[in-house]
Amino acid sequence: MIRRKNISICISSLAISLLFMSPATVKAQFMKKKMKEHMVDTVPFFRGFAVSADLLGAGMLLMSDYGSVEGALRINLKDRYFPVFEAGYAECDKADAGTHVSYKTQAPYGRIGIDFNLLKNKHDIYRLYAGVRYAYTRYQFDIASPAVKDPVWGDNVDFSTQGVDAYCHWAEVVFSADASIWGPLHLGWSVRYRNRLVSNEGELGKSWYVPGYGKSGKSNFGGTFNVIIDI
Amino acid sequence: MQKIVIPLFVVSLILSACSAVDCPLNNTVYSVYQLKKANGMADTLTDTLSVITLMHNEKEDPVLINRDTKVTSFNVAMSYSGSEDILYFLIRAPRTKKDTIVSGNDTTITEKNYLVELLDTVVVGKENHKHFESVECTPSFFHTITGVRHTKNAIDSIVIHNREVNYDSSKEHFHLYLKSGY
Repeated sequence: MIRRKNISICISSLAISLLFMSPATVKAQFMKKKMKEHMVDTVPFFRGFAVSADLLGAGMLLMSDYGSVEGALRINLKDRYFPVFEAGYAECDKADAGTHVSYKTQAPYGRIGIDFNLLKNKHDIYRLYAGVRYAYTRYQFDIASPAVKDPVWGDNVDFSTQGVDAYCHWAEVVFSADASIWGPLHLGWSVRYRNRLVSNEGELGKSWYVPGYGKSGKSNFGGTFNVIIDI
Repeated sequence: MQKIVIPLFVVSLILSACSAVDCPLNNTVYSVYQLKKANGMADTLTDTLSVITLMHNEKEDPVLINRDTKVTSFNVAMSYSGSEDILYFLIRAPRTKKDTIVSGNDTTITEKNYLVELLDTVVVGKENHKHFESVECTPSFFHTITGVRHTKNAIDSIVIHNREVNYDSSKEHFHLYLKSGY
């Protein structure tokens, strides 16, 4: 009985609302829908490009055992899609105080990918991106180590090795943001999840640092701080 | 937007500083010998086993395993250089000797327990591979077993079960078959 009463209330309120809906209101809604359908994005396909440099990698190169000098070219397509080319040169010279083992490498690396501007207002001076990268490096590394003691013969055995060949293909998922500071100058950050696709770490088993990828492991996280100039 | 930029910066700094060290607890690489019966079941040594080697450095102890008792399996370190390891397996086993003394119409049987010790030489052929894990870890050597030969005093046969010797000590590298009574 109560259910039937609720249905009748619902039908009544619908009929009343249709009755009071003026022809002007209906027309306005129709026009709005039509305008939306005919609103064309007049932004040109090619919107220019930007070059950037990573200051975080350069800072790490100056202040720690490893780091990189890295630049990027980002093409702006309709303020929404941004094909990206990144290239850098990384160095590592790490010596451990406990084991006295040192690892040395330096090599170039490259990445190619695309970013998508996630913001609803894609023409804003701020941008929030999500993107992907494919990256590759081919490198050689040297290991210097004190002689290790043979557990059977008892004598010392040299371990140091030079010029071990290795390569690594990896993929990155990137979240980044940048903001216009002044004129064509932007500052931005990126956080990256890296995952190895195919790699050969050389005949010794593992390489401690992979140029462009970072410290060894099946996956890792990293970040960049970019100075960007629109051209 | 600025609310997003600042946390991203902090997160990227933290992530770029993250590191983990996964050094093995024991960086010595061992070959694993599993004693086996002819039917394939695990065997147990009746008394003791010692494994001795020749040291290049005379200050070092040549005994790798000292009188290990009732063993079913044992680990032996492998040398970092050279294509062969020469090992001496000293295997001890109990024996009982029965003496029958006939004196007139009386026959007395006496049992005497004693130990026998047999020495076998085992030569393990191998290739040595330098293994680097991380600068935080002491470097080591992995091995590929290329062959094994031995004398046959107490040992009946040795079969290579797994050729690759690395940090994984759960793998059995050799199946060791002893003659009956050991």
